[in-house]
Amino acid sequence: MTQTSRRDFLRDLGLSAAALPFVLNLPSLGFANQQARKQRLVIMFSPNGVVPNTFWPEEEGEDFKLKESLSPLEPFKNKLLTLHGVCDKVRGDGDSHMRGIGCLLTGTELFPGNIQGGSDTPAGWSSGISIDQEIKNYLQADASRRTRFGSLEFGVMVPDRADTWTRMSYSGANKPITPIDDPYQMFSKLYGRMKDQESLKSILDELQGDLKKVASVVNAQDRQLLEEQTNFVRELEQELKATSTEGLNHTVPELEPGIKEDNDNMPKLSKLNIDLMVNSFANDFARVVTLQYTNSVGGAKMRWLGVDEGHHELSHNPDTDEKSQDKLTRINKWYADQMAYLAQRLSETPEPGGQGSLLDNTLIVWTNELGKGNSHTLDNIPFVLLGNGLDFQMGRALKYKKTAHNRLLMSLAHGFGHRIERFGNPDFCGDGPLLNLT
Amino acid sequence: MQITKLREPLLSSHRSPARFAVSLAFTLGIALFAGVASADEVPTGELVYKQKCAACHGAKGEGATDKYPQPLVGDRSVGELTEYVSKTMPEDKPGTCVGEEARLVSQFIHDSFYSPTAQARNKPARIELSRLTVRQYRNVVADLIGTFRDTGKLDKQSGLRGEYFKSRRADGKDRAIERIDSVVAFDFQDKSPDTEKLEPHEFSIKWEGAVFAPETGEYEFQVRTNQATRLWINDLNQPLVDAYVKSGSDTEHRGAIFLIGGRTYALRLEFSKAKQGVDDKKAKEKPPAPASIFLEWKRPHRATEVIPARNLSTSKPSLWCVVSTPFPPDDRSLGWEKATSISKEWDQATTDAAIEVATYVVAHLDKLSGTKRDAADRVSRLQDFCRRFAERAFRRPLDDDTKQLFIDRQFSEATDPEAAVKRVVLLVLKSPRFLYREVGGSVESSNNPYDVASRMAFGLWDSMPDQPLLNAAAKGELATRAQVVSHAERMLADPRTHSKLSDFLLRWLKVDHVPDVAKDTERFPEFNAVLANDLRTSLELFLNEVLSSESADFRQLLLANSLPLNGRLAKFYGVDLPEDAPFQSVPLDSNERAGVLSHPYLMAGFAYTATSSPIHRGVFIARSVLGRTLRPPPEAVTPLAADLRPDLTTRDRVALQTKPESCQSCHAMINPLGFTLEHFDAVGRFRKEELGKPIVASGAYRTRHGDTVQFNGVRDLANFLANSPETHAAFVEQLFHALIKQPIRAYGSQTKDSLRQTFVQENFNIRKLLVEIIATSALTPVESKPQTASAQ
Repeated sequence: MTQTSRRDFLRDLGLSAAALPFVLNLPSLGFANQQARKQRLVIMFSPNGVVPNTFWPEEEGEDFKLKESLSPLEPFKNKLLTLHGVCDKVRGDGDSHMRGIGCLLTGTELFPGNIQGGSDTPAGWSSGISIDQEIKNYLQADASRRTRFGSLEFGVMVPDRADTWTRMSYSGANKPITPIDDPYQMFSKLYGRMKDQESLKSILDELQGDLKKVASVVNAQDRQLLEEQTNFVRELEQELKATSTEGLNHTVPELEPGIKEDNDNMPKLSKLNIDLMVNSFANDFARVVTLQYTNSVGGAKMRWLGVDEGHHELSHNPDTDEKSQDKLTRINKWYADQMAYLAQRLSETPEPGGQGSLLDNTLIVWTNELGKGNSHTLDNIPFVLLGNGLDFQMGRALKYKKTAHNRLLMSLAHGFGHRIERFGNPDFCGDGPLLNLT
Repeated sequence: MQITKLREPLLSSHRSPARFAVSLAFTLGIALFAGVASADEVPTGELVYKQKCAACHGAKGEGATDKYPQPLVGDRSVGELTEYVSKTMPEDKPGTCVGEEARLVSQFIHDSFYSPTAQARNKPARIELSRLTVRQYRNVVADLIGTFRDTGKLDKQSGLRGEYFKSRRADGKDRAIERIDSVVAFDFQDKSPDTEKLEPHEFSIKWEGAVFAPETGEYEFQVRTNQATRLWINDLNQPLVDAYVKSGSDTEHRGAIFLIGGRTYALRLEFSKAKQGVDDKKAKEKPPAPASIFLEWKRPHRATEVIPARNLSTSKPSLWCVVSTPFPPDDRSLGWEKATSISKEWDQATTDAAIEVATYVVAHLDKLSGTKRDAADRVSRLQDFCRRFAERAFRRPLDDDTKQLFIDRQFSEATDPEAAVKRVVLLVLKSPRFLYREVGGSVESSNNPYDVASRMAFGLWDSMPDQPLLNAAAKGELATRAQVVSHAERMLADPRTHSKLSDFLLRWLKVDHVPDVAKDTERFPEFNAVLANDLRTSLELFLNEVLSSESADFRQLLLANSLPLNGRLAKFYGVDLPEDAPFQSVPLDSNERAGVLSHPYLMAGFAYTATSSPIHRGVFIARSVLGRTLRPPPEAVTPLAADLRPDLTTRDRVALQTKPESCQSCHAMINPLGFTLEHFDAVGRFRKEELGKPIVASGAYRTRHGDTVQFNGVRDLANFLANSPETHAAFVEQLFHALIKQPIRAYGSQTKDSLRQTFVQENFNIRKLLVEIIATSALTPVESKPQTASAQ
């Protein structure tokens, strides 16, 4: 099929304008966008910094060893890229935690506001768009790359309050996006309408029977109206039949029911989210995804790892407190586990209509609000990249010298062919995208 | 700035206010070249038809059995018919009926019985099967879901309950003040609202109560504040505006929500003056920051204003399920919503709305059905809920077959109980038993008591019957006129009756779609959007005053010499009031003003941007008040611009332009009615002269009986209209149609006149007229049962 818009296609099919909004509401847009390669980006966030000793590889280049925190990623080592030395240089209002999450994907300052952190001046929302939304807008602007949602914002145990510490993604200045941290809500966003169509389909026979019955007890002059309605019901049935053949690449996932949003359910919630995410990629619902674990200053208690303290509280303990450092390493290793599970699911899911697996066309970026918890530094922000989605040269450990993270954000856009010359605060965009990635 | 847009505007095809004047002018413009003969003249087309056509086609085009049996009906235009006649008719001598003669006869055939409109006119009126109107649909769904919730508590106290707290969180132990605030419009500056009880550095306020939405449409709520705020409307679990985080220079926070008119919605507003987030211990060492908060709204097509106290109350209303699916607008070509046809778009909207409601029901299922997810008797509770849902939706009990189809079968076929509920809701809301006002009655009796209950509820409320009505129906207590009257009287007190009546009056005054009354800024520099908004409010308050008064006397709408004004309006219209005075009823010179006829909002609406428009005003009086038919003729004309003849007064200019004989068939009626209001300029101010010449406000009207009545000025006109049987009959007929949405003729040829007589006897009490209309219509049986032979 040549590149025609969905609307053209429907017109060619002879569907009336009236039927259009209805058909357009179906799950997949999947027409014009199935030709070109489907590049994807996942940005995964965890809070409170890392333990540098157990996190960063010592070596530089292709020959490197993974340390304890990143050990779960061993099976994907040749698809991995660690970027040490990338720093969040954005300053201004807000404390390090607030700027840590609020400037992480936006590369620009927070507005002054009324949210007071533990130190520094109070701040509000970010003053710019985040890179995931920038890339989403770029993809959505072109019919050949457009998907039903463009982007999806997943969350795991994100607190039910909107403030600078709980928002990472921005559709523009002062426009934070609320991540969906209830997998059932995400499910109904993804598949709800399809389920509705199924319910609708299931009652149409009975509805026709009822119409017939009612028509038999009204005046002959009035019956015409009911016959007209019966015809509409028949047309609806035809339309539903016609559209159902479009089908989905993958069946609707079955979610384990009744998982409550509860600290101890975090592993299950994480898995549900990742499964939904992989499924929505397989069905090409979106090409850009964020996955936010808790929030900046997040205090998850990972009791399933034998860690009873809250994460944030632990992260303040000094380097000399070995027990705490060990626990923090275990916490980050758990996040690496989640990344590994995601990578594994992507690698075993074939690319629909294309070559290889989803992982061959997806880049996962795992990042963090801080470099290190007890110093609150925004230097050496963890950036661990996995997958071949943006054709970076993987299987390496790279070290940069205090390089602004805005340049990495630009690289992500460039990887999609979106050649922006600056992103966020222009002062930090220096020499353009990061060298050495491709 | 935060804008939450919950839905698209309801009916984008509703004409925009800006087009109001234009479309009226267009209708009127084409009226200027009315080529249609008035009823008094003998159309020669009729003679031609009699001589040359009737022998084969029958006297009324019905056909003659032996020659041409088919009736003469179709949809060709007059031009096409003329051509056809010229070429082919009469069949035995084609070419003998041509030119003007062919045109005349074609016109006669077309208008008398051939065209679709002529066919409709000639059909005997009957009560037709009608679906729910859009307004009825939304009301029924809101009330249907509402029957499964607490009824809430409505309170007459206006304003909101305010609780003031010493800390930044609205925490009970920190409560320092409780009071009623009539509106939320406070500029505390850097001070405390109460220096004795609250610190200026940190305090918070919670306002709770309700907001009354006068009309259906999209409302934009706005909180203006330099501090943290959140606002909830209707759903108290989901904030409409969340500006807890203050960021950058944003001080205006907006959220849009679609509301059904005539209902009261829960409202909560929170305000917190403090740094949020981590406690700032040093905050009190710094000078306090300024703090202010204003709770405003923008009603559909209106200007932004602080929500007035009269729209706020301390009520605790129920949560309403508001269907926001857009529906195609109802056919209002007859002046009322005729819901006797359906379209693909309508059918699609009913599907989308059914899905919307089913999703809503499932999301609120535990509360609505009174059961919990893990309850042992969950399934039977849900079945019971579904049965009650279907009964209420169908407005009658379910018989066994219906229950089997709508409930039992869905539960046995669906994979889980929630899916079954969804199927039931979809099936019920797509069923004709729900979508049509009256179909599911038993075959034996056409005055089924449940049908009577529905007729009454739709008539007065545009909604479903309430429990007392259904109880009465169950006991067979809606069989006599006295029983119906007694329920109708009870139903009058319901706010839905008032809402329906208010909407009708706005429609009667031709301002139901808010017109654009923007004026020439050079000529009327002080007449701005705020003033226009005030004027609309003044009109609504005036109508409300008359409707709520003891006598509810229709004549007062035309005769009253007082007008609700606030300080701004008083200043503009030259009345002595303090500038910040709230709305109050102000007596005016009764020679200068008379009820709605001279209300400045209508005078400004029926006017151009710089000059008055006697034609608009005359048409309004002729059509709305006197119920005259002015036919829409075939050609448009641009009104003569004032600056082309700067020497002429408006009156002279209009007289000059409508002088031709062809105009006079309509304008002989329109102009002299409109001229009586020439004392009111384009903004509705009273004037004594125009262009240095004294205003001439003399006018006249030729009644349907042929008597000519003379008047001079608005008071004369008002006295005539208020006492004219033509006015009364027109009002009765229009109100009947607005309530019942069926042609009044279908209820008997005498109904209109007997209603009019009762109206007179009851001293023109509008509420009593409502009851009388309901009593008359609710017990009129619908000829709805088929002959056995015709059943298919």
